[in-house]
Amino acid sequence: MAGNGLPLYPVTVVGSWPRPTWLLEALRKRQAGQISFKEFNEVADKAVLEALRYQDEAGVDIVSDGEQRRDNFYSFVVEKLEGVKLMTLADIMDLVEDREGFDKILRSMDAPAFSIRNPTVVDKIKPRMSLSMDEYEFLRQHTHKPIKIPLPGPYLLARSMWVKGVSDAVYPTQEDLAVDLVQILRDELIALRDAGCEFVQFDEPVLTDVVFNAGVKERTFMCASMSASSGDPSKELIFATRMMNSITEGVEGIRTGVHICRGNWSRKDDVLLNGDYEKLVPTMMGMDIDQFVLEFATPRAGQLAVFDHHRKQREIGLGVVNPRTEDIEPPEFIIEKVDEALDYFEPEQIYLNPDCGFGTFAERPMNPAELAGQKLRTIVEAAEQLRAREG
Amino acid sequence: MAEKKLLNGLDVEEIETALNILRAQPDRSNAPKSSRVRWTSGLQFKAFVRNHVFLVDEPAHLTGADESPNSVEFVLGAYGACLATGFVWIATRRGIAIHNLEVVLDSTQDNAFTFIGIDPPDGHGHSGLDEIKAKIYVQASADEQTLREIWEQTLKTSPVGNSLTRTVVIEPEIEIIP
Repeated sequence: MAGNGLPLYPVTVVGSWPRPTWLLEALRKRQAGQISFKEFNEVADKAVLEALRYQDEAGVDIVSDGEQRRDNFYSFVVEKLEGVKLMTLADIMDLVEDREGFDKILRSMDAPAFSIRNPTVVDKIKPRMSLSMDEYEFLRQHTHKPIKIPLPGPYLLARSMWVKGVSDAVYPTQEDLAVDLVQILRDELIALRDAGCEFVQFDEPVLTDVVFNAGVKERTFMCASMSASSGDPSKELIFATRMMNSITEGVEGIRTGVHICRGNWSRKDDVLLNGDYEKLVPTMMGMDIDQFVLEFATPRAGQLAVFDHHRKQREIGLGVVNPRTEDIEPPEFIIEKVDEALDYFEPEQIYLNPDCGFGTFAERPMNPAELAGQKLRTIVEAAEQLRAREG
Repeated sequence: MAEKKLLNGLDVEEIETALNILRAQPDRSNAPKSSRVRWTSGLQFKAFVRNHVFLVDEPAHLTGADESPNSVEFVLGAYGACLATGFVWIATRRGIAIHNLEVVLDSTQDNAFTFIGIDPPDGHGHSGLDEIKAKIYVQASADEQTLREIWEQTLKTSPVGNSLTRTVVIEPEIEIIP
């Protein structure tokens, strides 16, 4: 057993699920102000139940709501926070000076400016409502399984929401914004814990951007981080760690995870980052976090040997299928990955998941839901074989 | 007064009315246009077209003030806008609502050095555009096949595109003012 009533090698998801077209239509109407938050959520409720059905049919042990209510994994905060406005890159390019920089990155992403929506701080931020309690409570009514709630990480929010030329009128620096962000995320973590949520995962994909684009101060849309970095990886990683630990310090009774990927919004590998986790392991180990949710299904992610000097110290959410490809990885492939992970983690420390969500950006899913479901099923089959092997 | 029927921000009836008027004037099919361009200073120029005026400049690495795109960049922007215009026009006339649209272009020149004098103009290629990649991103209430058809029609009928790909006869003249 993995603990907490879970079987060995629990199967879970990273978060996002492909959205049905009727949900995207409702999302578009909501963003255009044509329908209310309540009306949108009535449509989203149905989509969440669909996403849950796919997870249940596959046999997933820890479920999510597929982030169906979210435009993407971090911009949804616009509905939940005052002082934040959802601006497309097209809007932002009208206001900032460095348009060429933004254009360059859009080209590297192979994305139009209108498709990247960014929550941008335009005033002092404070909660209008809980970030995710509505998502948790709805899902809880429809499943007895443990629930994972993904939340945008503090570093991701600081980098993406603070835009020079727009936000500095309210928060002169990112660090000033971080103070309020940390408090909001900490309050959210505690509230979810008190409501009975089993697992909160903080998404921090921008950390790979910090180490793989070291020294580059340009903005990157590795998951649309808008604010230019200081260019000093050490400074950025310390900032990220400090914020994370301020959120999780002393909060017991809930499993916490940090998801760090290289971006999975495109099928074109050459627009995505690649490189192993070696430079990030010290940072991860410095975080007061139970589980690292990482991608290891593709060669670009590197080897598990990066944990050689930190064996068996944390849990790993092992990424074992690629959400961007059509090929269904066979169980044997997944079992081989687990066998490799067993050199560095105890069996009870290994959780199995896809490399990333299946719908990072609502309007650009990497695969249809049926195929995503098959990918989950193959992970479950592998987990069942591994459990049988362990006796 | 009856409410205007707008699609994609365009008055659909007004479009058809305008087309009917033009249909009755076949001599307007050659759509004459003109511009006047005046040198202001350095590598900066003012272009006057009807009642509009815009600056043309050169980038800093060519010693311009970089306060505006340069001529070739305007051509690229014009082609992108022309394609976008064509797409919106055709889609609107077919009753298709467009939610978002963006055209991205990349170009190279055969040998820009012949313009700035690094290479002599003869025997070293030409300074014109030799390749343009044009990609449209579109979100609209229509199926993929329909949108691809509209894109094909847009490319075929683009005035700037046709200007770039067909031979345009240029009749130069110089007048020296004493």
